[in-house]
Amino acid sequence: MPPRLDVENLRSYFFTRSGLVKAVDDVSFTINSGETLALVGESGCGKSMTALSLLRLLPEPGRVVGGEIRLDGRDLLRLPDLEMRRIRGNQISMIFQEPMTALNPVLRIGEQIAEVLRLHKGLTPPQALVQAGELLTQVGISDPGRRLRDYPHQLSGGQRQRVVIAIALACDPKLLIADEPTTALDVTIQAQIMDLLQKLKEERQMTTLLITHDLGIVASNADRLAVMYAGQIVETGSVEQLFNDPLHPYTQGLLDCIPRLGQKGLLPTIPGQLPGLREHHDGCLFIDRCDMPSLPCGHQHPQLKEQNPGHWVRCWRH
Amino acid sequence: MPLLQIDNLRKSFRTSNALGNTGARLVAVNNISFTLEKGETLGLVGESGCGKSTTGKLIMQLQKADQGRVLFDGNDLTKLSPRQLRPFRRQMQMIFQDPFASLNPRMTVGGILSEPLLIHRLATGRQVRDRVIELLEKVGLTAEHEQRYPHEFSGGQRQRVGIARALAVEPQLIIADEPVSALDLSVQAQILNLLQELQREHNLSYLFIAHDLAVIEHVSDRIAVMYLGNIVELTSADQLYKQPRHPYTEALLNAVPIAEPGHPRPAPLSGEIPSPVNPPSGCYFHPRCPYADQLCRQQAPPLADLGDGHLVACHHSESVGRYLIQRR
Repeated sequence: MPPRLDVENLRSYFFTRSGLVKAVDDVSFTINSGETLALVGESGCGKSMTALSLLRLLPEPGRVVGGEIRLDGRDLLRLPDLEMRRIRGNQISMIFQEPMTALNPVLRIGEQIAEVLRLHKGLTPPQALVQAGELLTQVGISDPGRRLRDYPHQLSGGQRQRVVIAIALACDPKLLIADEPTTALDVTIQAQIMDLLQKLKEERQMTTLLITHDLGIVASNADRLAVMYAGQIVETGSVEQLFNDPLHPYTQGLLDCIPRLGQKGLLPTIPGQLPGLREHHDGCLFIDRCDMPSLPCGHQHPQLKEQNPGHWVRCWRH
Repeated sequence: MPLLQIDNLRKSFRTSNALGNTGARLVAVNNISFTLEKGETLGLVGESGCGKSTTGKLIMQLQKADQGRVLFDGNDLTKLSPRQLRPFRRQMQMIFQDPFASLNPRMTVGGILSEPLLIHRLATGRQVRDRVIELLEKVGLTAEHEQRYPHEFSGGQRQRVGIARALAVEPQLIIADEPVSALDLSVQAQILNLLQELQREHNLSYLFIAHDLAVIEHVSDRIAVMYLGNIVELTSADQLYKQPRHPYTEALLNAVPIAEPGHPRPAPLSGEIPSPVNPPSGCYFHPRCPYADQLCRQQAPPLADLGDGHLVACHHSESVGRYLIQRR
């Protein structure tokens, strides 16, 4: 079966006054139906810009300059704007980090969920409201009849995120993009929301692109992951492959510097810091922080290579 | 004598809405007590609204407590006038979560670091610049950063500047309020290491406030867990992790994501954090607690010593641990 989402050689550049920024630089990945792929990396690595490219919602002065994004075989980059608008919120929907800013503060919860159902599924207002209530129940909100009449500020952060999830699921999307869905939430609420997403994934065979910086969340919620660094994927494979046998020095460094319960003393660190995105190099982008650079690293850019079946790495050592 | 001793500290706020005072009172910090020794790190952990940041501000005398004492080297700071407080302010410094919001964008880093030196008359003339460069180097920056502005720095570098500013006046106590929660993972590890190295070098005492138990556990000697304004458990970091005695601590430990595929996952804690304006009856944690019974709904448990200095406020502390996930 062909993958649900197939991204090939995606390049999104920002043409800023101070120079060209390659935010997404030749990124390729696939997600099969029912699978969760986690896109992992630190601030500025291009993971959110990859997600916004999929929706064709890149902020100015960013532009997708190349590549293909195929959802069930259809290239989204070639669709007319009107067609693309029907896909957003319908076939692809998104959950954001901050649920308060994702909701309209002056509209009742019920109206915000029903709106999606009316626009994309053509339901009548009363039908839409009934289904909105059912969706609230599915995302674990008790007393949905009363909650439908609430405004966002009357809900807690965790409940708001549940409402955002209900809106995202309203049209049974083919692809759900979750961009740091629990980063703004308290730790016990974070566990509840990840549990809910996992349950919905199993019930609905949901295909998910999960964007996060938290490797703990990845280990328990994703099937495969792709690690991004400075706009590029440096390693990708199954969760087991990357956690048990990380090949790229950046992946190894990230796994090592997680503080773990029961450990004391100094943490292993990755020396140095991210390269400036406006600088452009011939060689490996990680070279300044690598503990074992070798001869080709300085002047030749490494390509992604399949080291084990399904396990790809961008490093001259392999 | 401990460096810092907090006795029955309490702080409440009047709540208001768009129409003004609602008459309700929110108890942010509810009669908490603890001590901090010289060279020690005490972790203060809890979720939003638990009063951990308010506690930090009450110690710094940035807010006035309703009641209770803050003893620094035996002196009760709550009784002092602003003028009398000044020498103590030099002894206590704060590091904040968002290093960008806490650095003046119109000042160079050199200016930011020399200001406390001049105010407290710790250096004059040539010495100022030498000391600024010494501070920059101490936190892993260089002399060439002196003339730059905060916006030219990355998040991790800005936090280094924030740490250098706190160190400038040679304090004994540093209150670090979520110092790494805005930072990326690899930068977080660098900053945590820097804080630990500086502590060893200067025999600093840290009050380390954070919501992430894994981070707290890593740097702290002892940990106080807060829930809705109360300390519910206080013990050594080791003991807290191996044998938590409060169900909330157990839930926080379980909520730390396990970076290992296929590891069994604990069931998440149910329910939401109640409003501190209208807290539940009896034990504040009972609506979310898997161990709760009739007694918990009626009577708030006192913070009691289980022996060996392990303090817990729970009627069923001997049963706690049943749901704790064993990490491989």
